[in-house]
Amino acid sequence: MSVPGFEGFEKRLELRFFDDDNSITSNPMGLRLIDFESLDQVLNEVQCTVVSAVANRSFDAYVLSESSLFVYPTKIIIKTCGTTQLLKSIRPLIHLARNLGLTLRACRYSRGSFIFPKAQPFPYTSFKDEVLVVEESLPKSLCYRKASVMTPSNNPSRAWHVFTASADVESDEPVVVVEVCMTELDRVNARSFFKRKGDEKSNSDSAGKEMTRLSGIDNINANAFICDFAFDPCGYSMNGVDGDRYSTIHVTPEDGFSYGSFECGLSLYDDGHEDISEVLSRAIDVFRPSDVSIATTYGGEEYNHEVTKRVERVLAKKLGLKCRSRLMDVFPGSGTVVYQSFTPRRK
Amino acid sequence: MGGFLSSVFGSGEDAGTESEPSRLIKFSSSARWQLHYNEIKESNKLLVVDFSASWCGPCRMIEPTIHAMAEKFTDVDFVKLDVDELPDVAKEFNVTAMPTFVLVKRGKEIERIIGAKKEELERKVSKLRA
Repeated sequence: MSVPGFEGFEKRLELRFFDDDNSITSNPMGLRLIDFESLDQVLNEVQCTVVSAVANRSFDAYVLSESSLFVYPTKIIIKTCGTTQLLKSIRPLIHLARNLGLTLRACRYSRGSFIFPKAQPFPYTSFKDEVLVVEESLPKSLCYRKASVMTPSNNPSRAWHVFTASADVESDEPVVVVEVCMTELDRVNARSFFKRKGDEKSNSDSAGKEMTRLSGIDNINANAFICDFAFDPCGYSMNGVDGDRYSTIHVTPEDGFSYGSFECGLSLYDDGHEDISEVLSRAIDVFRPSDVSIATTYGGEEYNHEVTKRVERVLAKKLGLKCRSRLMDVFPGSGTVVYQSFTPRRK
Repeated sequence: MGGFLSSVFGSGEDAGTESEPSRLIKFSSSARWQLHYNEIKESNKLLVVDFSASWCGPCRMIEPTIHAMAEKFTDVDFVKLDVDELPDVAKEFNVTAMPTFVLVKRGKEIERIIGAKKEELERKVSKLRA
């Protein structure tokens, strides 16, 4: 391709803050008190903007022109795609948090491998440069640091990059984060994410709702409220809100560089919530991709090998996806990351 | 005496800024909200109820839009209710995510928009105000 298409692969930044006695008990809303104008300014630096939003008692969820932003009392997650400058948000966010009396505890920066790596601006042309920029933005108190590139032997061009920095050597983050990246989406399934002819000027909120329904995304987690958005002329984003659990899906449907991502944060042992393998199976089935990678981060939860094996079993049985590579790495203060790569059995 | 009476029978508190009064009425009292609601039920006026919370980022984000809409659609009644101040009303209207905009006519809910969806809210209010 002489002209690169849209880059679906996201850069993800997660900042966690201390639950200080001084700040959180005086206002339990923590980071949610950051005024919108300040957040908007940070997003401006990153080169994106809010297109839709919803909140509940646990967190605020924003759909961005290039992915998503989640604000919890002591945690911020920003995920942006395209050629956005995500790392420019680190310093201003730390500053805004400090104004509320919140101290940075941990930082995680992660991403897959870009479909169009040469189209990225500096420092995103090289992971080493990205790590340098992140390190320069962080206070010395985050002294436990590690950078790792997890490269599957069957597909070296689909590596998973992680940089973590933490003030603690142990993490007590109870949330497990699962990030699914899918490419070569089934063409028929991808059609759901194009605005219908004559619909181009139609309301993006209602077009988004239609795509959620048509694609079956509303069946992934029946308990979640979905805040969706349809882009012109194609493309789709949604944030799912279910108690304190978030989920998010982003789709670039164009053939040649089609991409879909599904991410959710959950606690593996929550009663009344469904098995993660079933949720993942339904999410991946929406797209029927030819290439899937799943990065699972066990924050403070003990790594559970049974879950890893169950996900592989369920995806093989229900979607005919065979696990070609399984890699694992441990990050001080940030937990264990498992990175699995799947392709259809027939290949 | 007048002050006492107006606090019993008066309308809600002005949600506007000090410089200009706003057409967006905020109710912090369940009783006063009920009075207003019963009154408006008798007319054909469209009522837009904005359920929000002080700590809800998306609610703060869309606030200027609601004020602007209230100025623009003068034949529509705009009311703001805080889910922490009036939890019983929020429960009655089944509000779980915020902001939630409930559009009511003649005492019946005709439309509901959940989330800070500017375009959709404007479109629906414009369509249903007649």
